[in-house]
Amino acid sequence: MADTAVQRETVLSLRETIARIENRRLPGVVRAAKAADPGGFRQREEEEPGRKVLSLGVPDLDDLLEGGLPLEGMTEIRNAETRDAGAAAGFAAALGVLCQRARLEKGEPVAPVLWISQSMASTEAGLPYGLGLKAFGLDVRGLVFSLPRTVKDALWIAEAALSVPSFCAVILEIRGNPAALALSESRRLHVRSRAGHVPLLLLRQSGHEEASSAFFRLLVEPAPARERPLPDGSMLRGSIGHPVFHVIAEKSRAPAPLGFLLEWNPHDRRLYPVEPLPAAAAADPEPAHSVARLSASSGRSGRAQALGELVAFPRAS
Amino acid sequence: MRLVALDGFAEKRGFHIGQGVAEARAMCPEIDVLPADPAADRALLAGLADWCCRYTPLVALDGDSGLFLDITGCAHLLGGEKALLDDLLARLFHLGVEARAAISSSAGLSWAVARFGSDDILAEDEAARALAPLPLAALRLPRETIETLGRVGLKQIGDILKAPRAPLARRFGATLLLRLDQALGREDEPLSPRLPVAALSVERRLGEPVQGEDDILGLAEELALRLKPELEKRGEGGRLFELLLFRVDGAVFRITAGTSSPLNDPRRVAGLFRERLQAVHEDLDAGFGFEILRLSVPKSEKYEVMQEDFSGTPDRERPLAAFADRVMARFGAESLMVPALSESHVPERAASFRPLTDLALIGKAEEPGNNIPAPLLAAAARPQRLFPSPEPVEAVAEVPEGPPRSFRWRRTLHRIARAEGPERIAGEWWLDGEPALERDYFRVEDDSGRRFWLFREGHYGASAPPRWFMHGVFA
Repeated sequence: MADTAVQRETVLSLRETIARIENRRLPGVVRAAKAADPGGFRQREEEEPGRKVLSLGVPDLDDLLEGGLPLEGMTEIRNAETRDAGAAAGFAAALGVLCQRARLEKGEPVAPVLWISQSMASTEAGLPYGLGLKAFGLDVRGLVFSLPRTVKDALWIAEAALSVPSFCAVILEIRGNPAALALSESRRLHVRSRAGHVPLLLLRQSGHEEASSAFFRLLVEPAPARERPLPDGSMLRGSIGHPVFHVIAEKSRAPAPLGFLLEWNPHDRRLYPVEPLPAAAAADPEPAHSVARLSASSGRSGRAQALGELVAFPRAS
Repeated sequence: MRLVALDGFAEKRGFHIGQGVAEARAMCPEIDVLPADPAADRALLAGLADWCCRYTPLVALDGDSGLFLDITGCAHLLGGEKALLDDLLARLFHLGVEARAAISSSAGLSWAVARFGSDDILAEDEAARALAPLPLAALRLPRETIETLGRVGLKQIGDILKAPRAPLARRFGATLLLRLDQALGREDEPLSPRLPVAALSVERRLGEPVQGEDDILGLAEELALRLKPELEKRGEGGRLFELLLFRVDGAVFRITAGTSSPLNDPRRVAGLFRERLQAVHEDLDAGFGFEILRLSVPKSEKYEVMQEDFSGTPDRERPLAAFADRVMARFGAESLMVPALSESHVPERAASFRPLTDLALIGKAEEPGNNIPAPLLAAAARPQRLFPSPEPVEAVAEVPEGPPRSFRWRRTLHRIARAEGPERIAGEWWLDGEPALERDYFRVEDDSGRRFWLFREGHYGASAPPRWFMHGVFA
């Protein structure tokens, strides 16, 4: 009998370890076993150990992310084209704001957000702009920005930052899919982030899907904004309201990529789910002279065009 | 082509400076003439000045052929003046440098004796005796003055030592007496050292030179440990540390590392140099090893002693400071930046980045631009990413002041679905000084939902057509 109890304990602890490695919720059996006290006393209800998440305030997205943004570990945010970099940077900044706010609500001392942007990324898509980020809801007094020259330097700074408990989030912005940030490097950053209890947001600008150690990979696309509301409840026609992102969970536990339309409200500093515009399809007919976005290649060995590289070609029309 | 410098052999053969090369060749066909390279000469002299830092931190350049070393209070460290001078000359001889030196109580006297005299160490009361037989050129006088003095038969310093001063000054100018007084020690002559002298420095002379990076760092930590009591006594922490490495063959390397907050912890000082050594790896050639290491603190600030509390919450400042120091030691002081807002209408001036100099300012800084009320910020939409220099676009817009209908940016056509604006921002003439063109900013959204910040510079109908620029992207 004692033998089976020991075996059972071993299996439960193994399942707990696996759950922790996979960043999942503890299985119900384990939770029940942990809650039960041999003395028959009810233990204090405590949070799941070993898993810290930040709820994004959008139930569907939180469910998909199993509670919210992982606060220990790497999350990848990518955009397909350089001109979408604004949307992806905005979404990353929104997550940074949420991290800042969560710390403030918990009564912890203010911790800065570190934004590491490889200089190529910022040259192509623009530097983060203090006034704009302030209007976006970010406390720019708690923002530290770094502009390293190479990807290697950026990785070094990110690794150094993840090993000190001083930042509430680290945003690492990389352009494309450099060889210097392959699977093993991303694994290393991920492990650092888990050990240092600092969330790492890998912002991959105009890169394609790549295997990485991140828990989740979110593709951020721009989406048309809603109109500005007027005091009487109607909408101001033709105006551009709060930013809206189309966030697609490319890598998650969901069987298929799921998309969400999220609106960031800088005043409330939170994300709201929004419905797709009903008139969008009707009001957006096919262009009169429809052409392929890319002319078919001719006269050279045809190669499938990789995703995310459709950037700067002139239109054929 | 004329001769500008001679070696000992050439001097013996009777050549003189300023002689034509052709004439010299005619006198002695086998001479070797090298083209002068003043830049290399200066570099050599600067290198020697660095090397002389082993004797005293006060080293001043004298023209392009000499060095002044102020050894006040340093001689006893090396076993007295005689030992110092012998050591200096012997080492320079082994480096292949022909040098003459003299020690005396005034810079002018040392200069004269080293170049024209035979003594090497002069006591304070021997100045007149040593100077008397020397030629007047030993007084650092202009050539015309020496020639004028020569014409009236005054060739040696002894000739003017006893002469009445007033007629000399009247006839040959004040410089003559000034130089004479400086040489005799009656007039003070300040030396301007090449480099500022650090407030604190400790050094270690090694019997056996070290080459390995770990050895250097270990010694640096040991030096920092010796530095700590001194810093504590002053209640200060270093903001800038300098490690001098004297290589056995005479090369001297200076490695400086700044910190983001006053620091006196030896391990962290050594950690700073670990990153610096990584950064300067290619430039630092250990060669046959380093024989002297010196750690100095050129810049220090008041150090706030903090007591650990019992709550157990880790102090936020210290790990952050350690991180900032590591990054800045490796990638330079500009590698970490914080946003700086300023009260300006021009978007690129209103917000910029400045280097992170003081960690205490994070989260607390009250910038002038931070006082902008929130409603104003909300009303004036600003992009989340701004291009440092606006990129020109081709736009089709309503004439005269309407928003653009479509534009081509980076060779891609964007059709505009909605637009807000214009927001007119005029140039800041009080800064730019020239009539800068007004900009009309539009916030536009294209048909796939991307939001951009475009502006038109100039007006339709003006003499020059207006130009459109892309200045930023919104989230």
